[in-house]
Amino acid sequence: MRLFLMLQMALRHVFRSRRRSVFALLTISIGAVGLFLFMGFNGGLMNQYRANTIRARYGHGELSTKGYRGAAHARPWELWVTDARGVAERLKAIPGVRAVFPRLTFGSMLIHEETMLVAVGEGIDGVAEAAFFDQLNYVAGGDFKDRPDTIVLGKGLALGLGAKVGDTVSIYARNSRSEMNLKEVTVTGIFYTGIPAFDDGAFRCPLAVAQEVVDTRAVERFAVALTNDEGWPAFAQAAALKLPELEAVPFDVLDEVYYKHGVDFLNAQFDIIRFIILLVVFLGIFNLISMAVVERTGEIGILRANGDSRLDVALGQIMEAFTLGLLGGLLGILLGWLLTISVLSTGVPMPPAPGISRSFRILIELTAADAVHVVMLCTLTAVAGCVLPVFRATRMPIAQALRHA
Amino acid sequence: MTQPTLYTLTDVCHTYTAGRQQVHSLNNVTLEIHKGEFLALAGPSGSGKTTLLNVLGLLDSPRSGSVHLQGVDTGAMSQRDQDHVRRTQMGFIFQTLNLIPVLTAFENVEYFLLRLPGSRSNVRKRVMEALDAVGLADQAGQRPMEMSGGQRQRAAVARALVKDPAVVLADEPTASLDHQNGQSVIHLMKRMNQERGVTFIFSTHDAKVLAAADRVIHMEDGRTV
Repeated sequence: MRLFLMLQMALRHVFRSRRRSVFALLTISIGAVGLFLFMGFNGGLMNQYRANTIRARYGHGELSTKGYRGAAHARPWELWVTDARGVAERLKAIPGVRAVFPRLTFGSMLIHEETMLVAVGEGIDGVAEAAFFDQLNYVAGGDFKDRPDTIVLGKGLALGLGAKVGDTVSIYARNSRSEMNLKEVTVTGIFYTGIPAFDDGAFRCPLAVAQEVVDTRAVERFAVALTNDEGWPAFAQAAALKLPELEAVPFDVLDEVYYKHGVDFLNAQFDIIRFIILLVVFLGIFNLISMAVVERTGEIGILRANGDSRLDVALGQIMEAFTLGLLGGLLGILLGWLLTISVLSTGVPMPPAPGISRSFRILIELTAADAVHVVMLCTLTAVAGCVLPVFRATRMPIAQALRHA
Repeated sequence: MTQPTLYTLTDVCHTYTAGRQQVHSLNNVTLEIHKGEFLALAGPSGSGKTTLLNVLGLLDSPRSGSVHLQGVDTGAMSQRDQDHVRRTQMGFIFQTLNLIPVLTAFENVEYFLLRLPGSRSNVRKRVMEALDAVGLADQAGQRPMEMSGGQRQRAAVARALVKDPAVVLADEPTASLDHQNGQSVIHLMKRMNQERGVTFIFSTHDAKVLAAADRVIHMEDGRTV
C-alpha cells in the first residue's frame, strides 16, 4: 500500500506538473534522440564498412589447405586443391552458404608495349564474382564477367604499364615445370582500393586464364559468401567437420591490417564521442532533476512533517525521476525512429572514404538493443540525478525544509 | 476537572546559527500543556513562537532540556518513532505552504489518511466528512492553485483533523488571510476543539485571534513571560 501510494503520488507529479514535466521530458528525450541516432549512425557506418569489405574482395572468408596461408612456399602448387569442383560442391551444401568462389593467385610479369612489371595475378570466376562482389571500386571500365582472355588491373599497375581499358597486355608466368607461359589478354577495368601495395602490383583475370598460364587444373583457395553476415562461426565449424584438410579464415582476419584495425580505430574514436554525448546528456538530466528536487524542498518538508519517513520521501522522488527518465527515454526513441524514417530515411551523405573514389550515404541503423540501452541509460541517469538532492533534502531538519516554501 | 497533561517542557533551550552568530531562540522554556486546550502563543517576530511549535511538533530538536509528550521523552525517541507520532497523533497547519500543489483538496486529505495504519476502510466517507466539516465539500476536486487562501487553510485544517490527532499545531494560521477568512479559520479550529476535544496550539500576532484562545502564552526573546 505504501509503495502504491508513493507511485501514485509520483505519477500525479509527472502528469499534473505539466510545465515541469514537459521541460524534463524534452530535455531527456533530446538527449536520448542524440544518443540513439549516434548509435544508429555508428552501427550503420560499421555495417557498411563491413559490407564493403566483404563485397569488395574477401567475401565472408576464405578456405585453403591447412598450412598454406601465412607462409611462403617454394612449390605452392603442391598445396593447392586439385578437386576444385568437388570441394566447391561440398562447401555449397553447408547451410547458410550463398556462393563459393574458387581462386588462384600466382606470380607473373605483365607486359604492355615496351614495359614489363612484376605483378601478382588472381584468377577468379568472373560471372559468379560479379554477382556478389559489387563493391570493388573501379576508376575505369568494370568487371570482365564471362568475357574470355580479359584482365582488370590495379590503378598503380595500370599507370606503371601505361595501360588503359581496351588495351592488350601479356601475362608471362612460370608453371610447375618451370616453363614460361605467355597469354595475351584485354583490359576491361582499372580498380582502386586505396591500398598502394595492392593497387600497384595486383591484377585479376578469369580463373581459366590463370590455370592456363600456370598450367594447372587446381585452385589455391575458395572465397565464400554467406546468406548471413553473422554466420561465419557456424559455417567454419561445419566446414571443419566436412573438409578437415582445409582451414577457414574469416574476412576480418584476412584483412586485419585495414578492416580490423580500421574498425578498432573507429570504435575507439566513437567510444570517446559517445562518452562525451553521454556526459552532456547526463549533466543535462542531472541538473534538471536536481533542480526539480530542490524546488520541492518545501513540499518534502510538508510530507516529513506529516509523518512520511525519509525513505518514503526518497522513494517517491526516485519513482518520479524513474518515470520521467523512462518516459523521456521512450519519447526519445520514438522521435529518433520518426527522424530515421523521415528526414534521415536516405541516410547521411558522406565524402569518399579511404580507398573509395565515390561518395556514399550512411544509413542510420537503429537496433532494439540500442533502444533498450538508451532508455536504460536515461532512466538510470534520471534516478542518479535525483539521489544526491533527495538525500540532502531528506537529511535536512524538517523545520528548515519547511522554510523553503 | 483538570485535563491530563499532553506536553511537559523542562528548561528547553534551542539555538541556531545565523551567519556567524548563535541565536538563542528558546531560553529555558518550562511549561505544561493539557489535553483539549486551545492555546495561543503570542509575541513579536523572533520571540521563539515558531521554534517552540517546531519543538512541540518534533520538527526540530532542542539543544538541551526535555520535552515529554504524554509522558514519553521525545528526545529518546528514534527517528522512526518520531515519524510515527507525527503521522498518527499530530496535525499541522502552516502559514502559507500547506498543501501538495499537484493534489486536489480531496487527495491532500486522503493521502495523509491513507498513510495511517488500518485506515483503508471508509476513506472516501471520512475525507468528505472532514472537508464538509470545514465547508469545502464543493471544492473537493480543486487543486490549491484554484482555491483562495482561506480555502487552502481550511483544507489544511481538514487534513490535520481527518486522522483524529491528539494535537494540532498551527503556525500563524491566519497571517496570510484577510480578517474575515482569518476569523473563519479560527472559529473552525475552535469548533473542532470544542466538538472533538482536539488540542490546538497556535501562534499569532493578531489580538482578535488571541481573544479566542483559552490560554495565551506570551513569549519574548525565547522565554515565556
